[in-house]
Amino acid sequence: MTHKTIKVGLTSLVLSLAFGGLLYSTMGEATEYYKHVDEVMTQPGDWYGKKLQLHGYIVQDSILKRKNSLDYKFKVHSNGHIVDATYTGVVPDTFKDDAEVVLKGTLSSEGFAVSPNGVMAKCPSKYEAKPGAPTS
Amino acid sequence: MAALGSYLLLFTFMVAAYAAAASVAGARRRNSRLIESGIGAFYLVAALMTVASGVIIYAFVAGDYTIRYVQRYSDSVQPLFYKITSYWGGLDGSVMFWVFLLSLFGSVAVRVNRERHRELMPYVVAVISAVEMFFLFLMIIHNNPFETYLTQTPTDGRGLNPLLQNFYMAIHPPTMYLGFVGLTIPFAFGLAALITGHLDDSWLRAVRRWTMFSWFFLSFGLTLGMIWAYEELGWGGFWGWDPVENAGLLPWFTATAFLHSVMVQERRGMLRVWNVTLVIITFLLTIFGTFMTRSGVVQSVHAFGDDPALARLFLSFMAVVALFSFGWVIYRLPLLQARHELDSWVSREAAFLANNWILLFSAFFVLFATMFPTITEMINGERLTVGPPFFNRWMTPIGLMLLALTGIGPLLAWRKSTIENLLQQFLFPVALALAVSGGLVAMGVRVWSSGICFALCGLVFGTIAQEFYRGANVRRGMTGTDLFTAMVGLVGRNKRRYGGYVVHLGIVLMFLGFAGEGFSRDEQLLLKPGEEATVGRYVLRMDAIRVTDDGQKQMVTAHISVKDTDGADLGRMYPAKWYYRKHEEEPTTEVGIRRSFAEDLYIVMPAFELADQTASVEVHVNPLVNWLWVGFGIMALGTGIALLPERALSFAAARMPADAVTASLLAGALLLAPAGAEAQHVDGPASQLQIFSKEVKDVTRKLACWCGGCSKLPVGDCACGHCALVKKEVTQMMDEGRDEQAVLAHYVTPPTEHSKDDVHRGESGHVLLSEPPDVGSGRLAWLLPYALGLLGLAGAGMAAVRWTRRPAVAVAGGPSTVVAPELQSRLDDELRDLD
Repeated sequence: MTHKTIKVGLTSLVLSLAFGGLLYSTMGEATEYYKHVDEVMTQPGDWYGKKLQLHGYIVQDSILKRKNSLDYKFKVHSNGHIVDATYTGVVPDTFKDDAEVVLKGTLSSEGFAVSPNGVMAKCPSKYEAKPGAPTS
Repeated sequence: MAALGSYLLLFTFMVAAYAAAASVAGARRRNSRLIESGIGAFYLVAALMTVASGVIIYAFVAGDYTIRYVQRYSDSVQPLFYKITSYWGGLDGSVMFWVFLLSLFGSVAVRVNRERHRELMPYVVAVISAVEMFFLFLMIIHNNPFETYLTQTPTDGRGLNPLLQNFYMAIHPPTMYLGFVGLTIPFAFGLAALITGHLDDSWLRAVRRWTMFSWFFLSFGLTLGMIWAYEELGWGGFWGWDPVENAGLLPWFTATAFLHSVMVQERRGMLRVWNVTLVIITFLLTIFGTFMTRSGVVQSVHAFGDDPALARLFLSFMAVVALFSFGWVIYRLPLLQARHELDSWVSREAAFLANNWILLFSAFFVLFATMFPTITEMINGERLTVGPPFFNRWMTPIGLMLLALTGIGPLLAWRKSTIENLLQQFLFPVALALAVSGGLVAMGVRVWSSGICFALCGLVFGTIAQEFYRGANVRRGMTGTDLFTAMVGLVGRNKRRYGGYVVHLGIVLMFLGFAGEGFSRDEQLLLKPGEEATVGRYVLRMDAIRVTDDGQKQMVTAHISVKDTDGADLGRMYPAKWYYRKHEEEPTTEVGIRRSFAEDLYIVMPAFELADQTASVEVHVNPLVNWLWVGFGIMALGTGIALLPERALSFAAARMPADAVTASLLAGALLLAPAGAEAQHVDGPASQLQIFSKEVKDVTRKLACWCGGCSKLPVGDCACGHCALVKKEVTQMMDEGRDEQAVLAHYVTPPTEHSKDDVHRGESGHVLLSEPPDVGSGRLAWLLPYALGLLGLAGAGMAAVRWTRRPAVAVAGGPSTVVAPELQSRLDDELRDLD
């Protein structure tokens, strides 16, 4: 092996180790589990305190808003499992009964606490017109 | 009309196959007539695609709703402009638009270079034709935009998605496509150079402009996307690291790297393998971007679609392209040896190398983080996601490093910089950077990333100013003119270099915009009438919420007075929500923006209560954000200068910059035109969302609606009441534990075997399946189009090989033809040397 190959090899090794280490350490804090309500609520205890992106649908007539505040309480369901959620802040336009949502936050025994700006109303029809949508 | 379109596509596929076959055969036989016929066929593809585009646009304008695509993406009340832009409103049309653009670009590239790079032309034609064939194949078997309704035709269309009926969104996709498609041309030239072995620098000269042109449109497309997100979506930011955005950014990184590393090869004959590799990776990333957003492989809040079949086709194509291209790179490695070694790490080429590594790393990092959920799901079944903070944490230092290199690179000498050079070159820019840092510390700026960014902006600005000043000074000494004239002349004489510096200046301004984000603040407030709230240096007072109606829509507008903290009146702002007639479920959010170069005050009203006149408002103060758009304007000017024809300087050095300025000012004015001030945000109606599990959706998509009025749409996608009942029934069956086969069998088996009172069951066998079953004879139906496509490809390949073999027979027949190719080859070589 030539001197140059060793140098290049060592440099690449050190660089990739450094990047790998950095990536791993930052990844730990940044990752969130993407889960459906039913996946989490079958064993809720396992998910307490973990960062979650929770996917589900808002239960009809479950949205409650405290007067003169931005505090919301609502329920989210998927496949028969329901979880209570709380949120303080401004919600998107599509946040309404039956809407498909992805919530960022953490689960505890008191329900799902949505982090600030953590409500995303999922809307697959945004760019691609949804097939079968009624003619308007 | 639809039949004409479909046949046109089929015919175009055949012509493209002929172009590829004839070109390769012609090149191998050295038969110029065959090559010419291949090029002729190549032009014909462009002509045919133009006609096909004309047909689809005509169908849109005339409202031919027998064509599914036209029905899905337009309606009779849509304005003409949006009827035309509906062409690229959906997947099928955008694939066709892609081929149309590629055929035009390809034809221009071949026309321009056919004399200068004769030896490359047949393979350039073959490669572009092969790419065209893939997309045409895709359209013919999977996404035919001319597909018609088989049964009853709807009387009106569904209309283009309201979000896309917006000026920026109408021109954003074609701009991105211009960039994406343009990057196929460098790939074709690179591959042609690899195949022919003509790996000197001539292919680089042919593609430099194309890359710059495509790079510009990619940047333009990304900027338009940012403006749209900022003004229309109402979340206060302009970049959210969404997969859709990232898809456009990936090839931008590698194309930027290529634009820089090209210079190293031209000057020093180094990085030859690297350059070919970059061109291939860039092309692969453009295809990958389309794959990522269209196939549903990445989950996004707004991914475009979900189509595993399309994913498989794209993956196969990418695998073939990667294997074929990198195979050639490996085969040609001996010809790609660098002419020089790196002399020193303190040299311009080393700076370029570092810049390339960082850009490539950025591309792979963004790719990795975007694909992270998919990767983790493949490895351990858990879908883990990473959000914007993770991207920002990594990309902020990477961006700063790139900015630093933008300042350092031009100051270093080629080959090796001496200490003396370094001192002389770095003194002013570093002093400027230090002065900026000192000023920031004195002002009490404590956001480290933004602080460093400002200091580095100072460094880059110092570098650019110094380069211009020194160059102009030398020129003034030589020509005896004043400094300004000398500077104009300087730019005229070396347009690429100084155009590049102007681009860097634009980048500096854009970075100011990014750095401003570090100081942005946002607050969510609940405002009651007469109540005041302070955000930053602004005092907002809610005057009233008014409801007005203009016949077309009902508008709920908040009237908010703005003062600064000293009490000076700054005017009123009107964030609003509009409810269009027939679209009450899709209110549009109207953002109120008060612009200035220092900062934007940005107010959105997501919710209100009319009864007690309160409004929830989101207030963002975004410092320096407008410098992003100004920076892009400057970048456009720089690219314009760099793209000017080389010959222009010989007779129009003085006139040229004036033209360029006018053109760029026009482009800038267009870009900054307040067309988007009436920001609209439309969300899909929640009522359209169905609550059925993915499994139920998958199964029901395999059945066609048999209610008689829905044109046999797949049940899973159909919104009629009948299908809702079927979906409910399927849910019940699946809950009972029946598998997909059992459920499908329930519907497709003749009714005699089931109870007569089951009203939702179909009446006759496979007619009810929306697609042929993937078993037994049904599999044949699946295989047929693929088999035909492969047969077409194989036929084209065999024709190429066969035509290629013919001269061997001729060679045996007469010795004179043995000499001819050699002579021809020598002549070619000599002519090339002359070039």
